Amino acid sequence: MNRRLPRAVALYAVAGLLVSVWAFPVLWALLTSFKTERDVLAYPPLLVFTPTLANYRDVLWGPASILPNLWSSMVVSVGATVLTMLFAVPAAYALARLRYPGKRASGFYVLATQMLPPVGLIIPYYLVLQRVGGLDTYSGLVAIYLTFSLPFAIWLMVSYFEDLPYEMEEAALLDRAGRLRALWYVILPQVRGGIAVTTVFVFLNAWNEFMFAVVLGGNKVRPVTVAMFNFISVEQTQWARLAAGAMVAMAPVIIVGLLAQRHIVKGLTVGAVKGGGRR
Amino acid sequence: MLFVAPSGGAGTLERQERRFALALFAPAFLLLLITTTAPLVFLAWNSLQKLDMSMPWLSGFAGLDNYTKMGGDPRFWSSLWLTFIYTASTVVLQVVIGLSLALLVLRIPKGQGLLRVAAILPIVLAPVVVGLFWRTLVLSPDVGLVDLVTRTLGLGSHNWLGDPQLALISVIAIHTWQWTPFAFLVLLATLATLPPDVYEAARLDRASAWQRFRFITLPLIRPAVVMVVILRTMTALSAFAAIFAATGGGPGTSTEILNLYAYRTSFTELNIGYGSSLAMVLLAITVFVSWLLFRRRKART
Repeated sequence: MNRRLPRAVALYAVAGLLVSVWAFPVLWALLTSFKTERDVLAYPPLLVFTPTLANYRDVLWGPASILPNLWSSMVVSVGATVLTMLFAVPAAYALARLRYPGKRASGFYVLATQMLPPVGLIIPYYLVLQRVGGLDTYSGLVAIYLTFSLPFAIWLMVSYFEDLPYEMEEAALLDRAGRLRALWYVILPQVRGGIAVTTVFVFLNAWNEFMFAVVLGGNKVRPVTVAMFNFISVEQTQWARLAAGAMVAMAPVIIVGLLAQRHIVKGLTVGAVKGGGRR
Repeated sequence: MLFVAPSGGAGTLERQERRFALALFAPAFLLLLITTTAPLVFLAWNSLQKLDMSMPWLSGFAGLDNYTKMGGDPRFWSSLWLTFIYTASTVVLQVVIGLSLALLVLRIPKGQGLLRVAAILPIVLAPVVVGLFWRTLVLSPDVGLVDLVTRTLGLGSHNWLGDPQLALISVIAIHTWQWTPFAFLVLLATLATLPPDVYEAARLDRASAWQRFRFITLPLIRPAVVMVVILRTMTALSAFAAIFAATGGGPGTSTEILNLYAYRTSFTELNIGYGSSLAMVLLAITVFVSWLLFRRRKART
């Protein structure tokens, strides 16, 4: 027994260290967002200070407001997510459940499209969009966001479809329900959870995207990830405003991440565990 | 066989299924063709062009000039070397730290939930925000968190992102900080599914803790580990936003991995032709590395 106690203490110490290393920078940013710019630079750092909401007021309604940027992010992310899901779910069902010629090759093709590095995509997109006046437009950004969200969503949905028992489809088909009706009324309701998780993942990835947004966006379409640089210039960094802006910009992903925590872990593992076992 | 027809015309049913499948798959396939494959062809074409936006009058077909130019471009070789260091070190660190922590945490009876919550935080943050957090709050000289620690310990203040060597270490640390939770969560979930009776048997056979890990745990979680390595390698090879935000590839070119070099060449120096050929090289590396890793996965399972 007495050999076990120190061991437990050590375990919890490591776990505690872990929590603080991962959570601390975020908590520190949260704390900083309530400080005045002067308090931020105090040494030793102030743990006790008079909190202010001025930074949040500035980043939301001040001259450097990020509200238009939040709107840009919202439009692009929702647009990309809706389109992605509309195309990905049927394709994933075919890939997971149906027999057709070239099935393996088509599955591999979907996987292979993900290998193209973003920088390799953005050059041709830039040239084409520049020619057709598509720079700084929502449709241009949505189009390039599909390049990473569509293959990802297809493969994640495949794993959810594969989990379903076959009997259900057979029963539905014997009822002469027709394949489309069987898919719509019997199968899709069974993967509701998977569709929800995939939708959330696709949305978060689009919301967090930066490289495409910084090159293909502009003054009109300027997602919030790009707007973070408003608070940093060569002359000075506006620490507290940057922290407040980042908190606002990341609030959706942090909230969804914490709420959907279990699903995110499952979503991450579905591919890892299953992909390793078969194929 | 998915479905055996009860009577008459199995061929009809098969044809029906095939048509249905194509109708479902074709739209996504066409969309991928337009949004990913067509741009790739255009990229390959551009990599054979002289296409410098600052000297547009010189544009024209250049054959393999862009590729042969790389041989004598020290900045290219340096970016290639940095890509290798960055990818190898971040992936190894993530897997080793993630797996050790998962093994540790598995023994903690209570409080795993809190750990998972903490681990989710870095993963969901936008890499660009992570880069900015680290550049300001964590690594700033004098007021950053790391400097607070080193100053308190009497190790003095350091310009973490301004010194070439420290900057490389810093961007590796940033990437490792953000993505180790991924390896940790996946491996923790995998470890939790392992059958306990195997371990009971091993314990009865007086197998040591190391033997149990080496001969039971490791083979069982190998597929998950390889999958983590594949996914993490792909992310590291195309890492961009966090480095861009933290150092912009600098100081000088000391954190300029190939991805950033291709970006800077194309959009800062506006040499689109050469940038395209650099992107093609990065694509070739990505394909080659994933082929290696996938082959390894097949061989072992």
